[in-house]
Amino acid sequence: MPMEKITFANQLLQYLITGLTVGSTYAMVAIGFNIIYNVTEIINLAQGEFVMLGGLVMVFLHVAAGLPIVLAFPLTVIIVTLVGMLLDRLAIRPIRQPSVLTLIIATIAASIIIKGIAMFIWGKDPFDLPAFSGRHPIHFLGAVIQPQYFWIIGFLIVIVIFLTLFFEKTIIGKAMSACADNPGAASLVGINVKRMILLSFALSAAIGAVAGITITPISLMEYDRGAMLAIKGFGAVVLGGLGSFPGAILGGLILGTIESFGAGLIHSGYKDAFALIVLLGALFLRPSGLLGSIEVSKFKRF
Amino acid sequence: MLKTEGLTAYYDNIPALKGISINVPKGQVVTIIGANGAGKSTLLKAISGLIKSLEGRIIYKEKNIAGLLSNQIVGLGISQVPEGRQLFSHLTVQDNINLGAYLKFKRRYRHEIDERIKEVFGMFPILEKRSEQIAGTLSGGEQQMLAIARALMGRPKLLLLDEPSMGLAPLIVKEIFEVIERLNQSGTTILLVEQNARAALKTADYAYVLETGELVLEGSAKDLSGNIKVKEAYLGG
Ligand SMILES: Nc1ncnc2c1ncn2[C@@H]1O[C@H](COP(=O)(O)OP(=O)(O)O)[C@@H](O)[C@H]1O
Ligand SMILES: [Mg+2]
Repeated sequence: MPMEKITFANQLLQYLITGLTVGSTYAMVAIGFNIIYNVTEIINLAQGEFVMLGGLVMVFLHVAAGLPIVLAFPLTVIIVTLVGMLLDRLAIRPIRQPSVLTLIIATIAASIIIKGIAMFIWGKDPFDLPAFSGRHPIHFLGAVIQPQYFWIIGFLIVIVIFLTLFFEKTIIGKAMSACADNPGAASLVGINVKRMILLSFALSAAIGAVAGITITPISLMEYDRGAMLAIKGFGAVVLGGLGSFPGAILGGLILGTIESFGAGLIHSGYKDAFALIVLLGALFLRPSGLLGSIEVSKFKRF
Repeated sequence: MLKTEGLTAYYDNIPALKGISINVPKGQVVTIIGANGAGKSTLLKAISGLIKSLEGRIIYKEKNIAGLLSNQIVGLGISQVPEGRQLFSHLTVQDNINLGAYLKFKRRYRHEIDERIKEVFGMFPILEKRSEQIAGTLSGGEQQMLAIARALMGRPKLLLLDEPSMGLAPLIVKEIFEVIERLNQSGTTILLVEQNARAALKTADYAYVLETGELVLEGSAKDLSGNIKVKEAYLGG
């Protein structure tokens, strides 16, 4: 009997660790949503495509073209960042007299196009990517931890530190916050608001690429994974509070953990349903999210 | 220093300004008075490059600046303190002030910025005391001072002020107008838009009266203060 209890506890630990890892990926997607939302009030539904592209471009550069990871990684981030900037230039900026809704619809259209191009290039099969430090699991209190988990969580930490410094310490970061706060006043002090929007797309795409590169060794990647990742990331955003960065991280980690426990304890077939249930639950019970304030949700027009 | 020639501005094809020509000579305070909805803010927005459909010319230092982007116009030395302050209300007082020098930060004029911050804090000591406070939590008067301070960070040669007295207690209004006079004495040219005609005419050298997008009267501030029509319509008889 005591043996069995420990095993069950071990299993719970396993679910927790897996959940936090997957949750870190969701958190990255959620952060990407918030960066664009904060500057433009647009929910960029092509956010998941950045993740998909991150994984597949990395597979191409590292596996197919044989570039070493240290080269393929930054190159992938740059390529996906350029895609993000193109998204702004080709889909968002040309729209005349934009309303937030038309812009969101434009991001849906863009995501369908990106997905189509990815299918054309890579086909429909999932691709694997070698784990960064091999696949010899570490055993910890009976749970099995893939070394790649540390990379994913580590990159989330790096992104958080980078963004905190960027938004707190640099004038460009402050200018982006200023655009989010009051775009009219921002242009009156000389900030080029359109360029800040471009930058927000670039940053989000870069973070999406990192999410995709780091998760692919664990869960493979194929052309049509973007939409589900976007839904999960959006669930994390809503759970944490639209626009809140701490909320995005908390929301992502909670969502990943719920999903992992749900899959383990209830049924793995319903894995994706849990995210939707959490999303709907959050919208009904606390639309402002865990860390979002009612004041902010009123302040934002959307 | 600044002239507009036949300036017409449209919102969705409806003109809000109809052929406005004004002249703001260097070193003076020029005021535009007029009722709510007359087009005063539209005129300042047009000068600042915030209105896309424009006809006519805006001459600043002998060059037509109509059609330039707002961030380019700030770079030329024209700063606006917009109606209703328009602070970055979720950022700190210090952030608001720093962002006023955004273009200088981009050129890395760190030394000049630090000097300017000292000057601005010297002018508004209360802002230095509250520099870490969130701008949205300041009192109305403090917010107006912060809005002016932010605009001054760009070292403007021409300052556009849109109803700086709006919603403020009489004592604070007096303080704000003293600030405007001091700025003018130190060499800043000022275009002041006001509904508070009495205060504006006291401070200004020259005045224009705007009604539904058209100039109906102009003259030295002294002459207009004595004008019967102005007295009846704007100075409460
Ligand atoms: N963004 C806008 N869109 C459409 N009409 C506007 C807009 N802003 C102002 N107007 C109209 O233009 C006219 C002048 O407005 P405004 O310049 O704000 O007047 P004032 O500052 O003198 O009160 C008003 O009739 C107003 O309704
Ligand atoms: Mg006005």
